[in-house]
Amino acid sequence: MGVLTNEEFFAKLAGLFESGKNKDHGAIYLTQKRLSYDQEDALSKPTAEDSFADLHPTKPLPVLIRASNNKGKKKRGEKVKLSTVVEPADLEAFFVRYAEVCRAGMAALKPRDRTKRKAKARKKKVGGAGQTAMSAIP
Amino acid sequence: MPYYDKSEDWLHQSALLLQARPATTRITTRYNLKPAHRVTKAEKAAAAAASTTSPPPSTANAASKKPPRGHLVLKTFDPSSGVCLKYKTSKAAEVGRLVQMLGTLGRRMAALPEVAVSGGGAQDEVMADAAAEAEVGVGSGVQTPVPSAAAAAAAAVPAAASQAGGGGKGKKKKGKR
Repeated sequence: MGVLTNEEFFAKLAGLFESGKNKDHGAIYLTQKRLSYDQEDALSKPTAEDSFADLHPTKPLPVLIRASNNKGKKKRGEKVKLSTVVEPADLEAFFVRYAEVCRAGMAALKPRDRTKRKAKARKKKVGGAGQTAMSAIP
Repeated sequence: MPYYDKSEDWLHQSALLLQARPATTRITTRYNLKPAHRVTKAEKAAAAAASTTSPPPSTANAASKKPPRGHLVLKTFDPSSGVCLKYKTSKAAEVGRLVQMLGTLGRRMAALPEVAVSGGGAQDEVMADAAAEAEVGVGSGVQTPVPSAAAAAAAAVPAAASQAGGGGKGKKKKGKR
């Protein structure tokens, strides 16, 4: 599949998370890396005196984001591969949306456990009640 | 490469790796689903035996099982040097924070200046982080929240304008406990 726009990517990523929800196993892979392909104007070729040209590009580079369910050869029909390119200027906004989609999609993770705190509060209450009872006795 | 215990450590090391090899390093986030109950061999045999005689009950049994468990693995990998840094969690509360970390690392990938990272959004994120850690730390002891508070303070230093508010917030958390 070709490169999607950011909006399309989010829509399809949400769908990908949704498709995994009623299954009891599986995995979704999200990858990000610098897009260095076809970026000659930002990246100069490494030369003898400057062999680490990629450490100081002349301008910010886009980031490539990929998502996949890593289905193998046997299940090629179910395989989903998504990719999008985020321009440096859109990075902040992209990751805000990305966090939303991931939070909504990763539903099988453990929710925050509040039982410990509750138990502690109860203990405190019981302790306080005990003290008042003690003082009330004499 | 073993897993890091703290996401902050992973973030720090990943940032260093990206600094050294920005062009080849990639970050993979794996969201894994696993059945909550592992089927043992005896059960499998029983299920097979049951399905040959009466298939409906076994499927009904499977449907009433617990929802699957998920976990999240963050991996920073640089193929040219072979460095691999990992962090694993199963807490839903961490997802937002981890994606924020992916964002800060994404900025590094894009070769954007670092200073802008510690802007308003990043600072809010650090505070949320401290809060989350404090909640986690309630049971385990006093040790954990202290470094996180220190980290929050350190992160707050560059953005001097809104430092006062952030510091107060951190203190409040401390007092609560």
